[in-house]
Amino acid sequence: MEEINLEGTVYLTVAYLGMIAGLAIWTWTVVVRSRSIEQRLAAVEDSIGLDAEQADNVAEQSVAETSDDATD
Amino acid sequence: MRGRVPEMLLGVGFLGIMTTLYLGLNWAPSVSINAFESPAAQRIFYWHVPSAWAAFIAFGVLFVGSALWFFKRSPMGWRLHVAGTEASLACGLMAVWSGCVWGAAEWGTPWDWTDVRLNTFGLLTLLALFLVLGRQSQPDGVETRDTFSTFGLFGFVLVPLTYIATRIWQIRHPGPVIAAGDDSGSLQSEMSLVLLIGALSFTVFIIGHMLISMRITHLEQRLESVQKSLDGGN
Repeated sequence: MEEINLEGTVYLTVAYLGMIAGLAIWTWTVVVRSRSIEQRLAAVEDSIGLDAEQADNVAEQSVAETSDDATD
Repeated sequence: MRGRVPEMLLGVGFLGIMTTLYLGLNWAPSVSINAFESPAAQRIFYWHVPSAWAAFIAFGVLFVGSALWFFKRSPMGWRLHVAGTEASLACGLMAVWSGCVWGAAEWGTPWDWTDVRLNTFGLLTLLALFLVLGRQSQPDGVETRDTFSTFGLFGFVLVPLTYIATRIWQIRHPGPVIAAGDDSGSLQSEMSLVLLIGALSFTVFIIGHMLISMRITHLEQRLESVQKSLDGGN
């Protein structure tokens, strides 16, 4: 029967638990942030009667203005 | 359906990563106890290598995004830059963390300041940390974007340097085990298969993350401009 190297297994467990926790926290944070901002945006757009396409146009104009500022 | 592609990629990638974990622990063969100080800890390899691989993909996206913003003023380029920095940081930290734990088990020290590969990869991860924290602490604007894009462009120099480091100066970090160019780096087929599943899974996962991150940046820009128009600024 193969001898179990307990010390190596402990290191392995610490490494994997750290990475699984890291992956889970990162994924959770990003998904929650995405949902939250989607809801906030929908609420703001609803309140002013703007649909998504119009809002995108506004966003593109804003980005274009920001880019133009750089060349001034 | 189309709008949920990033979440689907995240789910598929995560399942693949968990499969890699299972196969790496239960199916992949053990390494020779004569070749390693800590053969059990060597199984970290099945996550360490794919996470480093995913980090390099993310650094590549960061470079492309930085170039697109800096030279073309592309809003898509800026979104790629933001997604690339966050993904680089996460994957870089995973690779550094798993490497440190393996180093502690195998070498008796988590870090070797004389090893070029460790230090260049550590610097890349620190660069990603600087870009993520810097962007969060600065107001968004052209100057800010230009500054961070410049760091993204010049920082990429460290990527090829990291890649060739163990080929030129092999100090502590093991040399290449795949695509080594000779028989010295060959792996058993089961090990290669688990590594391949890990690399594919991390790739799918990181693409999912970057797509979500790009969506968030896009939504933030939209929210900001709608709020501006509400304030009468437009």
